Order: sequence, then C-alpha cells, then structure tokens
Amino acid sequence: MSTAPAHETLGRPVNATGRPRGRSSPLGSRLSGLPWILPAIVLVIGLIYFPIGYLGYASTLNWNGFILSTPTSIGDANYAKMFGDPVFWNALWHTVFFYVITFSVQTFIGFTFAAVMHSRIRLGNLYKAIVFVPVVLAPATMAPVFRQIFDQFGQFNWLLSSIGLGSLTRPWLADPTTAMPVIMFITVWEWTGLTFVLYYAAMSQLSPEILEAARVDGAGNFRTLRSIVWPMCRGTTAALAVLGLIGALKTFDIPYLVTHGGPNHGTEFLGTYIYYTMAQGKHFGYAATLAIALLVLAVAGGVLLRISTSRSDKE
Amino acid sequence: MFDIHGRWSRLGLQLLATLMILPFLAPLVFGLQGSLGGLGLGNYAKVWNTGIVPTVFMNSAIISVCTIAIVYACTMLAAFGFSKLRIMGREVWFWAILAALTVPEAVILTPLFVVASNFDLYDELIAVILPLAALQVPFTILIARNFFDGVPNEIMEAARVDGANGLQVFWSIVLPLTRPITAAIIVFTLISSWNSYLLPMLMLTEQSKQVVTLLPSFFTSQYTNDQTGVLAAAVITAVPEVLVYLLFQKSFERGLSAGALK
Repeated sequence: MSTAPAHETLGRPVNATGRPRGRSSPLGSRLSGLPWILPAIVLVIGLIYFPIGYLGYASTLNWNGFILSTPTSIGDANYAKMFGDPVFWNALWHTVFFYVITFSVQTFIGFTFAAVMHSRIRLGNLYKAIVFVPVVLAPATMAPVFRQIFDQFGQFNWLLSSIGLGSLTRPWLADPTTAMPVIMFITVWEWTGLTFVLYYAAMSQLSPEILEAARVDGAGNFRTLRSIVWPMCRGTTAALAVLGLIGALKTFDIPYLVTHGGPNHGTEFLGTYIYYTMAQGKHFGYAATLAIALLVLAVAGGVLLRISTSRSDKE
Repeated sequence: MFDIHGRWSRLGLQLLATLMILPFLAPLVFGLQGSLGGLGLGNYAKVWNTGIVPTVFMNSAIISVCTIAIVYACTMLAAFGFSKLRIMGREVWFWAILAALTVPEAVILTPLFVVASNFDLYDELIAVILPLAALQVPFTILIARNFFDGVPNEIMEAARVDGANGLQVFWSIVLPLTRPITAAIIVFTLISSWNSYLLPMLMLTEQSKQVVTLLPSFFTSQYTNDQTGVLAAAVITAVPEVLVYLLFQKSFERGLSAGALK
C-alpha cells in the first residue's frame, strides 16, 4: 500500500529527468525496442489475428471445410441465418445468465472464505489446499466424476434421500432446467479457489491499523467486512470480474463433456455451438460467422468492463 | 479478519469453515470412491494395461514444457521492451496484443484446423503448442509489463553508464529481479496447457499423440462407457497435478496473486 505512489510515477512515461519516456527511454534512444516485442507480435498476429481475418472471409461462404470442395460465396446469408437462429440466442442468453450467477456466487464464497481463513482457524492450510485443488485439476478430468455424481443413481441423489429429501431426487442432467445449475455448480467448484487466493492475498495487504480503528469505533465483524474490507478489495473484484467474463465467453470443456450442450441445447454455449457446427455439422462458413459474433461480444465486453472498472477506480 | 472472543464463537467459525469446504472436498472423495467400484484397484490396472498412460503423460509434458518456454521467452522480451525501451507506436502494439486477451479458443478453432490440415501439421504436437502459447501470451505480457513498470529505471541507467548494452542489462540485471512474475507465468501457463482439452481433441486424433485430458474419454469410446475405468483414468491424471500443486503450494499462490495484484 505504501509503495503505491512510487509505482504510479514509475508507471507513467516519465523518466528520472522528468522528460517523457517516449523521447528518451531509460536505455537511451539508440536502442530500438521493436526486435524485443517482435516474437510476441508474430505469435499473436500469426495465430490470432490471421485466423480472425480468415474467419471474416469464411463467414461469407457456404463451405464444408474440405480442401477439395469449392466454397460458394453467399454474402451475408450466414449472418441473416444467425440472427434468426434460436440456438444462437439461447447460447447467448445462457452465457449472460451463467456469468452473472457464477461470478456472484464465486465472489461471495471466495471473499467470505478468505475472511474466515484470515481469522484463527485450525487446519487452515489443509482447508486452503482443498479449496484450491479444483483450480489445478483439468475440467476434462473432473467431468466424468460430476457426470456420475449428478446421475439418476449418483451420490447427489443418494445424499438427498439420506437427509430426507428423497422427493427431490431426479436425473439432474436429463432436464434443461436442472442441467444448467449443475454446469454452474461445477464451474463455481472449479474456480472459487482462485477467487479465494486473490482475496486472501488482497486482505493480507490491508493494514491492521485500519481494522483496529474500525473496531475502536465500535464496528462489528460484519460491519467491518462490509464497509472496510470489501471496498478495499475493489481492485481484486474488478480483476476477477474481467477474468470471469473472459472465462464465461470461453466456456467449453464443462458443458461439452458433462451435458454435450444438451439436453435440447439447454446448456449450449457459443463455444460448444461453434464446435458442433464445425466438427459435426461441417458448416465451416456458419461456424466462422458464430465465431465472429463471439469475438465481437468478447471485445465489447472487455472494453465495457475496462471502462466501468477504471471509472470505479477513480471514485 | 474476524475478531473472535470466546470458545463458542471460535467453534462456530471453525464449523462455518468446515461446512464451506465440504462441497469442495466431496467431488474429490466421490471420484476416488467411484474409481474403486467393481474391480477395486483392478480398474487402475485396466487403465495402465491400455499401454497409453506413459504416452499421454509424455505428450502432455512435452506440450506444457514447450508452451511454457515459448510463452516465457516472448513475454519477458516483450514486457521489457514495452516497459523500458523506445518503440514506434508502442501503445498501439500493446493494445493490439491486449485485445487478443479476449479471444476465446473456440473462435480461432475453424481457421487453425483448416491451416493445420493444409500444412500437414495435423496430429503434430506443434499444432497444439503454438495456439496455446498465442492464447496465453497476451495475459502474461499484461501482468509482466505491470511488473516491469515497477522496476526503477535508475537501476538500468547505472548499468548503462557502466557500458553494458541492452541485452546485458536485460540478462544480468532485469531477469534476476523477475522471480515472482516468472512463477506467475509458469503457473498460469502450466495450468492452461496441461489442462487444455479442446485443441488437443481437435488436432490430435492419432492415439500415439494424445494427452492426459483425453485419457478418460478413451474409456468411453473403447469400452462403451466403462464408468469405473473412466473414473480410474481421471484419478490417474489428477494425482500428478495435485502432487505438483502440494509441492509448490507457496509458489502457486504467490505467483497467482503476484500476477493479479500489482
């Protein structure tokens, strides 16, 4: 916290003599930085921007993706198809819904758990490890486990019956209205550890004096958490909001492996829909169109969040 | 954080913590339990006897190591350049890289697939390594540049006065300072490359080229949904990850928070 002003000056394009760094870099103007950034630029342009440009072209084609077959240009017909495609709109709505719920739940659990772990708790290290282990496990590794847990004869139903809620048992993954919450549960299970670790680190940086002062003023535990700790972790929350949005748009592994986007497109996301359209439907042109839509959403979402978080930083 | 007085409230907090971790623990226990159903340890023998376990681990290790090496080299060079050197249109380049941060894997799948089949890179590990590295680099450059911005210029200017050139400054002065951010880069890249599923599934169909995340699905196709085999395969792929995490627990947590917090 105390180093923040120093960082600020160093982060600005001003060098030791106070001149703009653009004119005179700390290593002198003879050394050009271009070769230094070149490998990264080549990698990103070659493997991300080139494919995107290619997509823009492919999205106007009626093409099955085989090299020997001739694609036919169909103009914006793919885009017209997309706007009239209920599965596309469903996937979009799922992504929004999924992001809002998983982000809120993860933030709540992660923040609370971080606060609890900063208090005197026995077996703290064991508890921390248990919450964090899902972060390092591959979704693909855990998917079969979750398929079994939420099966008709799985452990979740067994748990329900053994606590007297036998009437609630059902095949959770077979119904769209319950399959989606399961997908969200798995995501929360997977990523709350990261949320927790970041809040835990942010809380370690709070100065004890501020908490002490709040206590002296008569603030209780929950009051301190809500009015002091939570606002001071705002930077972490903002970073997690961006990471979560990117993650939500990238959602693929869990719905693909646990529910195959079903039943009846009930857990379809843009990622899974693009994959099916390309790999099974062989509609490369239409898959490219969907990918362009996803890209536009991702960039727009990133920019929006960037603006809103930098505004809240200034407040 | 919580100011606790008295035995009962301390007990209550301990109870709350325990209740909170149970949902995180349960799937791990259920998975382990399920993998021992039917044949018991025999399920593990069954997975091992497929003969592909060493292959998939080797392939995953190669992919992770190569991805980390590429990401690390590109990130360190670029972050240093962006933070400390003079570049025409520096911020334009920086934002061009940063914008790629939002690009989901699924977006570039179609063109990558077409390119890979055209250039005969299909079923080659490099067809997974390069896209993984490209998708990771924007994020690592962002966090590494933040880190380099915090390194005082004076340190490097002193070395310049002593006659060191750019590379020497980078190598002998800057790199030794970057341990926390190096840990972050390695941890994030390791998690994303070792756990990657979509790219390997699409690009690597030949059995000798498959990776750990594809091991469980091997049992759904080969043995028509052998649930205990699937779970045993899942546990086998999970154990090394958990071990690596437990061994490097501190670096994992420090690395992750060094990456996200400036």
